[in-house]
Amino acid sequence: MSDTPGAAARRTPPSGRAQLARRPGQGRWRPRSAAVLAAVALTAALAACSSSSSGSHSTLTFADVAPFSGPDAALGPIYLVSCDGTTNAINKAGGILGHQVKCTTADTRGEPADAVPAVGNLIQNTGNLALVIGCTSDEAASVVPVINKNKTVMFCMTGQSEFDHVKYPYFYRLVPPDLAESYAMTVIAQKLGYKKIALAFGNDIGSQTFVQPAIAAIAKAGLTMVANETLDLHATTFRTEAAKIVAAHPDAIMTEALGNADPTLLAEIKQLNGGKMIPVIGTSAAISPVFYSACAKAVGASDFAANFHADNLVTATSGPAYEAFTHALLAVKGHVSGAQTGDFATYFTAPGAVHLYDGMNLAALAMVAAGSPDTAKWKPWIAKIGDGTPGAVVVNSFAAGVAALKAGKKIRYVGPGGPTSFDAFHDSPGIFQIDTYSTTGKVMVSGSITTAEIRAVSP
Amino acid sequence: MSLLLSSVGFGLITSAVLAIAAVGFTLQFAVTDVLNLAFAGVMTAGAFTAYLVNQAGYSVWVGLVAAMAAGSVLSALLNYLVYAPFQRRGAAPITLVIVSLGMALIIEFGIAAVAGGVGVSYRMGQGRTVRLGGLVLTTVQLTIMAISLVVMVGVHALLRYSRLGKAMRATAANRMLARTCGIRTGRVIAVTWAVTGALCGLAGTVFAIDVGSFDPTSTDIFLILILAAVFLGGPGNAYAAMLGALVIGLATEISAAYIQADYKYVVAFVILLAMLAVRPTGLLGTRT
Repeated sequence: MSDTPGAAARRTPPSGRAQLARRPGQGRWRPRSAAVLAAVALTAALAACSSSSSGSHSTLTFADVAPFSGPDAALGPIYLVSCDGTTNAINKAGGILGHQVKCTTADTRGEPADAVPAVGNLIQNTGNLALVIGCTSDEAASVVPVINKNKTVMFCMTGQSEFDHVKYPYFYRLVPPDLAESYAMTVIAQKLGYKKIALAFGNDIGSQTFVQPAIAAIAKAGLTMVANETLDLHATTFRTEAAKIVAAHPDAIMTEALGNADPTLLAEIKQLNGGKMIPVIGTSAAISPVFYSACAKAVGASDFAANFHADNLVTATSGPAYEAFTHALLAVKGHVSGAQTGDFATYFTAPGAVHLYDGMNLAALAMVAAGSPDTAKWKPWIAKIGDGTPGAVVVNSFAAGVAALKAGKKIRYVGPGGPTSFDAFHDSPGIFQIDTYSTTGKVMVSGSITTAEIRAVSP
Repeated sequence: MSLLLSSVGFGLITSAVLAIAAVGFTLQFAVTDVLNLAFAGVMTAGAFTAYLVNQAGYSVWVGLVAAMAAGSVLSALLNYLVYAPFQRRGAAPITLVIVSLGMALIIEFGIAAVAGGVGVSYRMGQGRTVRLGGLVLTTVQLTIMAISLVVMVGVHALLRYSRLGKAMRATAANRMLARTCGIRTGRVIAVTWAVTGALCGLAGTVFAIDVGSFDPTSTDIFLILILAAVFLGGPGNAYAAMLGALVIGLATEISAAYIQADYKYVVAFVILLAMLAVRPTGLLGTRT
């Protein structure tokens, strides 16, 4: 029992050696050639596959371009819930100018290298591609130019700051730039009285975009950054990273590391911290049933609920827009692949679900207002219907909008994400609130963040 | 110093999990002549089998036994239905590598299609925390290390003292000669698939226990570590795989303490490349 493998191997005589190495020249495999083959095969293995679906020419197609696999796999299904719910509601209201609408998906795996062929495939093989939704920060920089070149309108969830000043005519977004989220997280730390902050962000593009703004905002707010760990989202454990964070004694950890990374990291931090969880401030991407479920299982629901806050965009929690939205999503509950985990009500506050629902309704109403599903004709109507024009009546759903348009009225669509105000780059950033979870995974609003507070920590 | 000791402890846990997988992989490779890249896929299948058992209300340790059985059956089927027919038709080794890569993707995406692409966790506690000097480990982690140790001793006993182990070694060394000596190599290979498949299922489950949250793609990077451990030690040699696993496990965790942590796997591969440059057959490999 005390034998070490190496010692046993050294002691074993060649004639009876307890090893399986081939004799020179006898086997078909040689270690060197095997190593080369393994390397070649692994290289191929790392080039993952992607998927997309084709559509029919009689039906308009909305495409969810987002990660459905890989570390950020939780994002795609959130958007798909919204897409299926919205298109279902549109179809029930008679469709768009008589056209039925359906959703399709393109799995970007959260990697630009996979995203570009997936989108290329989508564009080539999808009949009547009317709208693209999704395009997270993981892949937006690579796919937005492709979609824009195809003259397809897109409502994106990316927060990358380059889209604040680079003009893509077909690009729209209803979420703020990521740096604003970093500032919002810093404001949360201030409000909760945390002085020493550790950063733990994933090494994906979407997460790394938060880091530099967070460092700057922490300094501006007079807080201290005591650790800054970059997490390899493909890594299996983060024990040493967790040990470094615990050793730095932070009051709170700002993080976005989706997939298994955050749940694993938080569990390991809790273990190394004597069973006590360190408070966590997450991004709005953490407001998803999948994220809650994974973290609650990893560290315990009560511990997680007691120690977790996240910034999130202000969305309606009551009123006709909220009622129409929740009704639309509940109609597809249990029918959306990959969205069967956790409390379904979390989708009602998930930024992707809310704002893409609004984006799709805006696009659909623009088509109806323009009287054509031809992009060139309806695109100008997005801002008109979103921002409103003098004399416009407010509508809160697609069905109400169609009814008002049929009655010859001008409309302004205000959905659960609130009124829009598009700038020259088609950005319409919202305002923030502070969200927490209950022990059952229900999202609760615990505070608000004013524009002045954000401005105070902006470098 | 405290961080160094902690990282050594973490490295030992990683090594323990890696060793089970690496030994299974290298035994399989040596005896069957298939560089089976679907190994990680079978690990995942094992982990999810244990998850199903765990979700049904049983202990994860019961699930671990079920995972071993599932890994064994799946590996045997892979050989019977896929690899063996290709080998009978004289497929080149690189062809089998590509076939195994295809099988890896089929298994992985098959599991994702059924279970979804999101992370899951076993219903289990991590046990109490034990502090040994600067090492901070849980009782579950200590159990994983104990399991690994038992597996290593078991593999040693199998290869050294059992008829099956001797037949496996003979088949690995020279299949034709072994057959001439009366060893039923076909049966030995089939049994090897089953035995290494059980190790694979075991490795998948202890991996999932160790990482806490896992999904159908979680073992992707782990396969690379397995290959690194196997080729660092010397392919086809069970003891070399153990040594390789120890070096890779310690190197990744200790390096993470002193460099930007997301480069820790790069360090492992720098060590592997340096080693192969100096000694292409690996640490314990035979020079050709």
